[in-house]
Amino acid sequence: MGSTEHGRVSVREFQANGSRMAASEVEAKLDQGNIQEAEDSLREGLSLNFEEARALLGKLEYQRGNVEGALRVFDGIDLQAAIQRLQSSFSEKPPGKKGHAHTESASGSQHAASLVLEAIYLKAKSLQKLGKFIEAANNCKRILDSVEKIFYQGIPNIQVDNKLQEIVSHAVELLPELWKQAGCYDEAISAYRRALLSQWNLDNDYCGRIQKSFVMFLLYSGVEASPPSLAVQIEGSYVPKNNLEEAILLLMVLLRKFSLGKMKWDPSVMEHLTFALSICSQTSTLAKQIEELMPGVYHRIDCWNSLAFCYSGAGQNDCALSLLRKSLHKHERPNDLTSLLLAARICSSDPHLAAEGVIYAQRAVNNARDQDEHLKGVALRMLGLCLGKQSKVASSDSERSRLHSKALESLVAAIKLEPNNSDLIFELAVHYAQHRNLSAALRSARNFFNQTGGSMLKSWRLLALILSAQQRFSEAEVVTDAALDQTARWEQGPLLRLKAKLKISQSRPMDAIETYRFLLALVQAQKKSFGSSQISSKVLDDKINEFDIWHGLANLYASLSRWKDAEICVLFEGRGENDEALLATINGILLEPNHVPCKILMGGMIQRLGPKFFCAARSALSDALRIEPTNRMAWHCLGLLNKQDGRISEAADCFQAAYMLEESDPIESFSSIL
Amino acid sequence: MSGDEATTPSATPKPSATAADSPLKLKTAVEALSSIVPTLSKLTPASLTTSPDLYPQISALLRQPNSGAGDNNLCRWLYDTFQSGVGDLQLLVLRFIPIIAGVYLSRVADRKPQAGFEAVLLAVYAHETTSRAGKPVSITIPDLTQPSVYHEGSVKTSGKGTGTPNSAATEPETAVVSPALEPHGTVRSTRRARIVGVALELFYAKIGQMPVSSKIDFCEFCKVWAGQDGEMYKEFEEGGEKTEEEEEEGKKEEEEEGSDVAVEKKVKVEGRVPLCWELLQPVMRILGHCLLGPNNNKEVELFEKANEACRSLFSRSMHDVNPKAILPMRSLMRLSKTVMPNNDNLDPTELPFSDVISL
Repeated sequence: MGSTEHGRVSVREFQANGSRMAASEVEAKLDQGNIQEAEDSLREGLSLNFEEARALLGKLEYQRGNVEGALRVFDGIDLQAAIQRLQSSFSEKPPGKKGHAHTESASGSQHAASLVLEAIYLKAKSLQKLGKFIEAANNCKRILDSVEKIFYQGIPNIQVDNKLQEIVSHAVELLPELWKQAGCYDEAISAYRRALLSQWNLDNDYCGRIQKSFVMFLLYSGVEASPPSLAVQIEGSYVPKNNLEEAILLLMVLLRKFSLGKMKWDPSVMEHLTFALSICSQTSTLAKQIEELMPGVYHRIDCWNSLAFCYSGAGQNDCALSLLRKSLHKHERPNDLTSLLLAARICSSDPHLAAEGVIYAQRAVNNARDQDEHLKGVALRMLGLCLGKQSKVASSDSERSRLHSKALESLVAAIKLEPNNSDLIFELAVHYAQHRNLSAALRSARNFFNQTGGSMLKSWRLLALILSAQQRFSEAEVVTDAALDQTARWEQGPLLRLKAKLKISQSRPMDAIETYRFLLALVQAQKKSFGSSQISSKVLDDKINEFDIWHGLANLYASLSRWKDAEICVLFEGRGENDEALLATINGILLEPNHVPCKILMGGMIQRLGPKFFCAARSALSDALRIEPTNRMAWHCLGLLNKQDGRISEAADCFQAAYMLEESDPIESFSSIL
Repeated sequence: MSGDEATTPSATPKPSATAADSPLKLKTAVEALSSIVPTLSKLTPASLTTSPDLYPQISALLRQPNSGAGDNNLCRWLYDTFQSGVGDLQLLVLRFIPIIAGVYLSRVADRKPQAGFEAVLLAVYAHETTSRAGKPVSITIPDLTQPSVYHEGSVKTSGKGTGTPNSAATEPETAVVSPALEPHGTVRSTRRARIVGVALELFYAKIGQMPVSSKIDFCEFCKVWAGQDGEMYKEFEEGGEKTEEEEEEGKKEEEEEGSDVAVEKKVKVEGRVPLCWELLQPVMRILGHCLLGPNNNKEVELFEKANEACRSLFSRSMHDVNPKAILPMRSLMRLSKTVMPNNDNLDPTELPFSDVISL
């Protein structure tokens, strides 16, 4: 490289046996094609033997970029014979013994060895540059084969001179590259393994580069490498079984080397590891690796952000959010759009974090400028979601409706920018539905359904719910049945529950009971097989709460009781499910304090205990209404309570509210799908 | 939605054909193909897998408006050919998986009948279901406290690593790369992504034997599926210090501000699909290969298309605010920068040059 910096060519000179000689004369001869003459003048000028002269000439040609010339020069040397001579000269000495008598002859033969091996190495490089990769690889392999024969117990640390070691290391690194370039991937894998698992006395830089290169091969070649052979396995040690395992192991080893100060930092190692671990959904492992890095490798904010993404990817949103809070602190990087969006997204799933999320989302909206302008719609969407969630815990009606309409406003603004974002279309549909703007909701839900081609379970459920809210029960049932048809058995739970409720709405309680039975059988079967890995994780997400079913049944019986008390008593007692229903309800409240249907049911049940308990019943029902003011059932029960309590005009108000809501009530709360 | 379901006559593929009847099957496949695609009638069993005409001609047909219908002869041929169980023929069919998956998924929203495509995809899915025998694909996450072939027993005294209580206590963590497959006789809409995803997984498993054109098609479909323009990430820089850049981008943005932004968006819309993990994961692995696979410096077009796909998918993952996708896509983008053809990395296998040439 140095020669290119200061001027050109002519400064080159040869040096050997204590003499120097300008290269220009020899170069001229070579340019005329007189290899022999060039060789002669070198031998004379520097008192070299034939092989030494050729080696120098080859090197000169190679450095001049004349690889064809280099090959011609090297072809003059019988490298095979030279190798054989080397092997015999080394094997004369007993290996491992290093008496003084041998030191000189050892260094002499090492000198000869490095001369020959360097010549072969340059030959391989020349062939590589000419695109003759297989030939190049075979030459390179010859170097390693002969070195292995000479030092059959591995290269000893102290006995090898630097030059020889350098050529060996280079050859070890070059061989897999050549096989790769030749497209011989199996050979490349063995070459990598040979490089990394044999004793070449490689220094950390070489070893690290080869490991990284092998990692890339393992991760991206698409060629499945068979596990390392048994010969190299030590008992009790971890042996990777496939490409991903081997790549991840090597990357971790590389990171460890860096931490121990044995290697320079290479950011790409972390990127490869990120890719590899993300592919197998192990971002929590990735987080551990990032945490173990020495401080200062990444800027602390980048580090927090990366960790937040890892944790969020692994479902640990609490961890993620606390990290994001740090990085979004006003003294850190408060306007980082990606972090803002993630923080807002995390907050949007929890009513108690929603207010915080609104702040992040608003900041994201303000900062979606310039290069990030395209994310403005996303920011608005997050804002809408957070506002919607926040409205759930609003302290007053007016506050709630204000938040609700602001949420809708944001989502509408978002959809103008992101007209094709199907998730957004869905969220908008749910918000419309919650506002009881059913025709707009249906339009959006249909749109979502079409865009996703019915691939999302929730698209079917939302359609059915909106139809049920429009009192189009039979249509809703058609949708539900079609959805059941398009869903694998394990994921049918929520649909069956929906179907049961639709049956109830159509006054077919016995059908409903039948559906519930079916659902219970499914849940039981699911319970049994959750232990095994039979079912995909997706099912777990959709897993239906068994309690929900019991609650549904209890509800069903309870509603039947209003029509035919006597009959239902028989039913309850006869099947002994009364206790279970009651127990389930109370358990449900303990488990999910905000479960509205439970509160209503509980209110109803407490009310039946007698006037003394009216106050408790009232509080349960008001509680339910606070959480879900559009719950028709709650208004209805509150009406009944007021009536029994003698508050006739209040009762009338409640019934009126219930009646008005009935017109647009879905059979399950819309918020159940968001 | 319903009505266009494909059914597989035999959900379980036949056991792989014996060497004896594969020449016959090759011949049958060639004859059947030439009756469907007359322009390919010159093919012989020997040239079937190597012909350069095959891929462009068949993929052009697969892109035609009604190509995926249940009565489509080409789909029928692909299905039969895959079911033949002959390895070479199966590889031949796999070449078309990107284009089938691509056309199929982007047409789902149009509610066109696609039973032909579905039959092919189901055949591939069934093949994988059988060969995985109900087991998930999983890996063990390495733990450095345990010694391995590549390192000694970590910080602890080497050799006795297994004996220390600490290393014995840590159970190796298992990660599922692809969950166990349930058999499917039809494409239920909620399982569509999984079925296509598994077909892509098989494509990835054989990607070393797939032609470049097929990978290029794949990359183009990635952009379609993403439904998101990723050009703003062309000058991908991160971190706090982007003040200079911001100014520059400001100018660019003015140009873009025009009305064609909306128009462009509308054009791109077609074919955007929900990118759930089942689909995204194999997509990212294939993309990783296209970007960073060995010898990709020789395939300039593939590398460029893969880069575009990568940017689009990164943009999409940002729009989805999906950390599981943002992390690997961002890494792929950063890594692709390091292997850019014009990125003059020093060749470490080059011996040091010096003006003094000595022994």
